[in-house]
Amino acid sequence: MTDGATLEGWAPEIGPATPLEEIVDKAFDYRGNITVVKTDGSETVGYLFNRNRDVPVPFVQMFDLTGAGPYTIPYGEIRAIRFTGRDTAAGNSYAAWLRAKEAAKAATHSEKDSGGAPSRGA
Amino acid sequence: MSVPVSQMWAVASYVIRQKLAGRKQYPLVLMLEPLFRCNLACAGCGKIQYPAQILRKHLTVEQCLAAVEECGAPVVSIPGGEPLMYPDIGPLVEALVARRKYVYLCTNAILLKEKLEAGLFAPSKYFSFSVHLDGLRDEHDEAVCRDGVYVQAVEGIKEALRRGFRVTTNSTLFDGASPLRMREFFDAMMDLGVEGMMISPGYSYSKAPDQEHFLRTQRAHDLFSTMLSNPEKRWRFNQSPLFLQFLMGKREFECTPWGNPTYNVFGWQRPCYLLQEGYAATFKELLETTRWENYGRRSGNEKCRDCMVHCGYEPTAVNHTFASWRGFRDTVHATVTGRF
Repeated sequence: MTDGATLEGWAPEIGPATPLEEIVDKAFDYRGNITVVKTDGSETVGYLFNRNRDVPVPFVQMFDLTGAGPYTIPYGEIRAIRFTGRDTAAGNSYAAWLRAKEAAKAATHSEKDSGGAPSRGA
Repeated sequence: MSVPVSQMWAVASYVIRQKLAGRKQYPLVLMLEPLFRCNLACAGCGKIQYPAQILRKHLTVEQCLAAVEECGAPVVSIPGGEPLMYPDIGPLVEALVARRKYVYLCTNAILLKEKLEAGLFAPSKYFSFSVHLDGLRDEHDEAVCRDGVYVQAVEGIKEALRRGFRVTTNSTLFDGASPLRMREFFDAMMDLGVEGMMISPGYSYSKAPDQEHFLRTQRAHDLFSTMLSNPEKRWRFNQSPLFLQFLMGKREFECTPWGNPTYNVFGWQRPCYLLQEGYAATFKELLETTRWENYGRRSGNEKCRDCMVHCGYEPTAVNHTFASWRGFRDTVHATVTGRF
């Protein structure tokens, strides 16, 4: 996943344009914490790892920020979902690795070109 | 022959029992992920991208054993995450071996030497380390995005072999892999003395950091054909020869997504080890409520279109072996001659 594709920070309005089912699917696919606002006004913050629409009472399941759970929340009790946590699948580690490799290659070529001894502790 | 006869017999008799019982869907290998935490962040891995509280979680040994009993598969593979970071890995392996399950501990081997020296494991015919190596030093270190890991893994392999453990390797191949270098890698592993090698194309995880190098079907066939044509006699592969023929494009198989079911901190993963489309609370629920017709190449599901990964197709190959005399003959022929 590229950085540009992340839903981090998204706070959609549930409605005809973005129905709850679609937002739940995106939250399920999201590799960061989210905030579920329930119809009674309470909030659950954590990782949404499961959702099931193929049952009489569709539900989502979450682990909270301490890892406790799973907490099961019926679709009917969800007023809003906000993508509040960092997207851990944003691809930063691989991008950093590539940058480091490119820098190392450039340094090696530069040393060869200048004929100098390899530097240490760079 | 790279799989011990006792293991072959255990798997064969299990498959025959399933067939005699008329079971159409049966598991062959349980993929047991006790944790997602890892000490690497490989470019092609989509398994470990989770918030901190999820990475801190792990299954208890009791949960693992309950899943093993519920599933009933004769082989248990322990991937992750890095299983050597699981605090109860020693007791877990011991308990699985006591149940006569054939255990493959899939590790990057960074911690292997340390854990062996700590006396965490005992050699057994039921227990094998399956060390992740995606090629020789340059290729592997690039695949795992860290220099020096290949050397550490080789040191771990040597130490495990010296102590009498079974050691296999598992290699995931991506677009750009060199058949020639892989053949050199096979030679190097045989020189090290590993029992057998497992190879598979990588799956295009949507969450993997590198999205550019996953193999598409024809490229995969080309790569594996070139790599495995005229195989050296001494190369030993710890997998079905029919699966290798499938990778080479010599056989048409359909996916068996329930063949290697996955259990982790979220439950039983639908539909397979690679796709995450939800979780079931029990293995029975997984089998009975997953819409299996939505998966596999024939389903038209684009997530399955280019998938040729072992966890879906090796169970098909094994099932094919026992589905007809021809399948059995072909497997025996390839095993004995070493030709694919």
